[in-house]
Amino acid sequence: MRLHVWGVRGSIPAPGPETNRYGGNTSCVAIQTAAGELIIIDMGTGLLGLGNSLLPGDFGKGKGHATILLSHAHWDHIQGLGFFVPVFIPGNHFTLFGHAKSSSMLEGILEGQMNPNFSPLYTLRNLGATFDVRAVIPGEPFEASGVRITGRPNPHGSTTALAFRVEEGDRSFVYASDVGYEDGGPSPEMLELYRGASVLLHDCTYTPEHQEKRRNRGFSSYVDAADAATRAAVGHLVMFHYDQDYADADVDALRDACRAELDARGGAGIGLTAAAEGLELEI
Amino acid sequence: MKVRFWGVRGSVPVPGRHTNRYGGNTSCVEVRPRGDWPIIIDAGTGIRRLGKSMMESAFGDGGGTAHVLISHTHWDHIQGLPFFSPFYQEGNHVHVFARQRHDTHLQAVFASQTEDPYFPVPLSSLKAEIEFHELVEGAHFELGRARVTCTRLNHPWIAMAYRVDADGGSMVYCSDTAPFSDVLLEHEFISTPPQVGGVLDPAIAAKLASMRAGLVAMCQGVDLLIYDTQFTPDEYRARPHWGHSTPIDAIQVAREAGIKTLCLYHHAPSRSDEQQDLILRETQDLCRAAGDPFEVIAAYEGLEVVLGDDG
Repeated sequence: MRLHVWGVRGSIPAPGPETNRYGGNTSCVAIQTAAGELIIIDMGTGLLGLGNSLLPGDFGKGKGHATILLSHAHWDHIQGLGFFVPVFIPGNHFTLFGHAKSSSMLEGILEGQMNPNFSPLYTLRNLGATFDVRAVIPGEPFEASGVRITGRPNPHGSTTALAFRVEEGDRSFVYASDVGYEDGGPSPEMLELYRGASVLLHDCTYTPEHQEKRRNRGFSSYVDAADAATRAAVGHLVMFHYDQDYADADVDALRDACRAELDARGGAGIGLTAAAEGLELEI
Repeated sequence: MKVRFWGVRGSVPVPGRHTNRYGGNTSCVEVRPRGDWPIIIDAGTGIRRLGKSMMESAFGDGGGTAHVLISHTHWDHIQGLPFFSPFYQEGNHVHVFARQRHDTHLQAVFASQTEDPYFPVPLSSLKAEIEFHELVEGAHFELGRARVTCTRLNHPWIAMAYRVDADGGSMVYCSDTAPFSDVLLEHEFISTPPQVGGVLDPAIAAKLASMRAGLVAMCQGVDLLIYDTQFTPDEYRARPHWGHSTPIDAIQVAREAGIKTLCLYHHAPSRSDEQQDLILRETQDLCRAAGDPFEVIAAYEGLEVVLGDDG
């Protein structure tokens, strides 16, 4: 599997020279499986760049298909959908897995952002591509794009966000963005989901100081990320979902502090990367 | 009064090196009459930084009053609103103005922007006093020392243009709109591009002509005309039903209304700084060759234009 990062920012896109290196687009990553299948996780504005990169291939011809995993429906995780060029090309097909009580409720949530008050698209049905929308059953593995996927909800402020584990052969990737743990860190079920992952991509929105002031928002600090990575004994940690006010130098400092935190917690053997737009990582 | 641009982009924010100079934030313009509260036009992602700067003034202590004029509620014109810091400070007053809907109240539309599961902070829990004002086209009212008028535009689900007069200066914000020549854009979804330059039903042609006349009349003699010029002529021909104009359309309105400065605005998300430079230069050359008396500029984040006797 190969990870490709398209958007790393939390809450709202943050354009400007001060975010050029890590990028200002909101959450979106892609996994290319060894068999060449595409799995997209979250649909922030990073999805625009991914869409353009897909046009020379099958998606440009209306013959593309991909799995989309949606952690939750806050705007910064769905706002790229209406600007993802492959959805306008008839013949493309997407199977979307997300968190809701039922598949039709999940589809209704996606329709909500397309309604004519907010979007000139009016409804998903006006997109050329077709969507198969499915609610994830927490903790129950399913197969999509030829790999095994498990989703489980993490606490995220007043709501929850799904974390996903994607497994292909002996490699595993975990996506855990938008999580604010209760005291004591990840629950035993979540630690089980993260356990031994080749790569754990984890929410790293804040410094501990900023997180303390904004605890109700439901995001992690680098200490939470380092704690989760060491306790789950993962191979590599990828920091993700930076605060919209953090300039590149702030994220550099966040990474250095996270490295020190990993080392202090007995995780010196865990690799660390601060996600940046354009990052590719072999899993 | 001073006019300052905080977001100049259309459709979707576009961070990246290719937009560093013009800026990647979506639509937001601050109009500030001398010594008066700000009038903010549109609340794209640009309003986030504007809100932060306002917190350095009376808004930081909950003693501020802001007026927000919304052209229409498409995402790129409201998506910054939940990140507008003055909303989170008790004591501030924010008045939001937008066009009256045929189907629902304005407050319901804005409330649905931040309801579960889309955003963690619902409108009802914001600490500032927020008041919604529903406008019909042609409405005119006063905000502090400024006079405001509005007229409707040719855009899906209908957008409003606003004129603000204060301190002996005047400006019009005209975004988003298609030209008034090929298709009438209202509530119906149009799936296939209509023919450009074709013959229109006379009733529709008359409605478009009257809409355009209303806009030209409102723009009469203004110091600054900010105009949606998202499309090149080729892009317009491919998508006349998307509701955006070209610099040529803006020039024609500018000529008829006898304005002083035309400002290209609502830049396409795909446009790099270099491409935008080229569009500006071509438009300036066109106007120079035609002997037009007005100046042409292109909006970028941080641009400030001083109008009237606010020197």
